[in-house]
Amino acid sequence: MSIYALALMFFLVANPLGNAPTILTLIKDFDFERQKKIMIRETLISLFIALFFQFFGELFLNLLKINQYALSLTGGIVLFTIALKMIFHPPENLLNSKAKRDPFIVPIAIPLISGPGLMTMIMIQAREEANDLKITSAIILTWVGVAAVLIGAPYLQKLIGKRGLIALEQVMGLILGLISMQMIVKGADLFIKTLP
Amino acid sequence: MTLLYLTVVLFLIMDPIGNISSFLSLVADIPPQKQRSILLREMLIALAAMIAFYFLGEFILNVLETSMTTLRITSGIILFLVAIKILFPSVDSLRANLPVGEPFISPLAIPLIAGPSLLGTIMLFARLEPSHLSMLGAIVLSWSLAVLVLLFGARLQRLVGASGLMACERLMGLILVMLAIQRFLEGIQQFVKSCYA
Repeated sequence: MSIYALALMFFLVANPLGNAPTILTLIKDFDFERQKKIMIRETLISLFIALFFQFFGELFLNLLKINQYALSLTGGIVLFTIALKMIFHPPENLLNSKAKRDPFIVPIAIPLISGPGLMTMIMIQAREEANDLKITSAIILTWVGVAAVLIGAPYLQKLIGKRGLIALEQVMGLILGLISMQMIVKGADLFIKTLP
Repeated sequence: MTLLYLTVVLFLIMDPIGNISSFLSLVADIPPQKQRSILLREMLIALAAMIAFYFLGEFILNVLETSMTTLRITSGIILFLVAIKILFPSVDSLRANLPVGEPFISPLAIPLIAGPSLLGTIMLFARLEPSHLSMLGAIVLSWSLAVLVLLFGARLQRLVGASGLMACERLMGLILVMLAIQRFLEGIQQFVKSCYA
């Protein structure tokens, strides 16, 4: 797969458009400069987490003797559930805390940006793709996109409104649904081929 | 796929009959002359979104290298869930809590007319149907039908009543469920065949 396809996949799973409204509510009490700083900091932290999973995920999977088809099926099912949530439910408020507290790492970096779906996705791709550099550059490319969306989110929300953002998220959910189904089909295919 | 098939499917998913009542309640306070121009504007925006997604869909699906099997299975599942929502409407649907005031883009153009299921189906067809001409023709045709239905929405509602409209919508939902199952099974069939190959 090309770097762009990988980056597009990671971008869809990270779901910055869907997460933007939640993140905006979380940091709305801070002044604008501070908001930008928080966004950048959290994006960087989640980037490190993603890279960590790229390199250590495989070690772990080998240790636990997890097969390719199991990984593919798991990732597909988890992502498909996430995609359905994106399509059929408006982003629920994970956090109704109104405390004016600096959201450090939790909940923006984890689990909003680097959630379980993204970690599985990265592990799967890291295992399939022999070239580490390719995955790493795809991840970095993704994060450039994520950062751009998050920083642009306040303007975007003003332009198309909250409903517009939700509609965009639903469409992204659809594409994510396709990607996850591809993983499920592939996992099933691999599994069937192992049968005698 | 024939032009007729594509047009009918797109029309069913657009669900203009179901949208009549939400449209009428949205523009209830606006004089009829202006209602018509609002409707046309919103529908044109929806058409633009549909055509944009037609080309975008082809591009994205090519980049992601999605297979026909996946496309069929996924769109079958999504369409099924959407149709179930039409059959058994819930309180938290798109049509609940509509904002008051003149609609602009949201909610009438997107997501009521050009919702995720319609845009997704268009993307799917963009991959399945090689001919640009019949696909674009089907989009424009089904769109014009939807405009007609919405233009005469008030009269239609007076004719058959709100419950009649609802019954029509349910019937269309049922047809959509069948389409969804058919598509899902075609995907499974293709998958099984590819396993034996």
